[in-house]
Amino acid sequence: MNPDEIRQQLLEGGAAPLVLMRFRPAWAYIDGIREFGRFFCQTTFSDEALAERARVVIQETLENAVKYSTPGPEAELELSIFSRGEHIEISVSSLPDPAHLHTLKEEIAWINATDAEQAYVTAFERAATDAGGGSRLGLARIRYEGNVELSVAEQEDGRIRISARGRL
Amino acid sequence: MSELEQVQVPEVENVTLALDGAGTLTLTGTIAIWDPSERLGPFFQQVHAAALRDARSVLRVDVTGLSFVNSSAIRLFVDWATWLRKEPESRRYQLRFVTDRKITWQRTSFAALAALAKGIVVVEHKE
Repeated sequence: MNPDEIRQQLLEGGAAPLVLMRFRPAWAYIDGIREFGRFFCQTTFSDEALAERARVVIQETLENAVKYSTPGPEAELELSIFSRGEHIEISVSSLPDPAHLHTLKEEIAWINATDAEQAYVTAFERAATDAGGGSRLGLARIRYEGNVELSVAEQEDGRIRISARGRL
Repeated sequence: MSELEQVQVPEVENVTLALDGAGTLTLTGTIAIWDPSERLGPFFQQVHAAALRDARSVLRVDVTGLSFVNSSAIRLFVDWATWLRKEPESRRYQLRFVTDRKITWQRTSFAALAALAKGIVVVEHKE
């Protein structure tokens, strides 16, 4: 089941997004939104560890979305946080540079096929041998530190949604 | 006088840096800027070079007050371990990160870094 189907199922089941925010893909917003997400999860679920996990997921998904967004009025980002039963889902949709999509899908497929801790250590090894490259630690970090499963869904209008789903 | 005392400490938003001649760099706050490698990378390189000139056996980096960082900042610590690994063993110092196990990113990321740079990076937990 892809994230859009999960989202649809949640909505049909009566779940509403706990958080739904839309904003321009500007770096200046990330700090504030990350800390709001942390505060929100801590307050709603009374769970400090969950709040820390949410903080990592929000920071890294938003950074990724801002760095690879296309310019223009259609490029706004959407952050949503859902919870139902024992699960929470944090997702960010964006309109990325199409050239980035293939790399993103490959990276997520590799991370999901690998033990979360091992994927993070391997990402460190890759960073150590890739002098001058970008960090490329973010997605592996989300999965390991956030303790979530990652997925990416493409939409017809060229937007994509990266979702991180885990247990509360 | 220690070479470390000659290193100019930069001002970077949301993080306070303190470097003493006894061999401890202390970072406090958060690092979540766009490209920490531009703002902090040259400073870390200068600290590394000064530690080598001082022929230090250990350099401590106290991150217990660093409540959050992005992955680009974590990458800086990976780079630091890589610079050390490229040095001849006789010149290397031990890069000792002082961490707080209660802070998730510190527990996970420094464990991964220590696994990557065995014998070079040591992680110390402050109670």
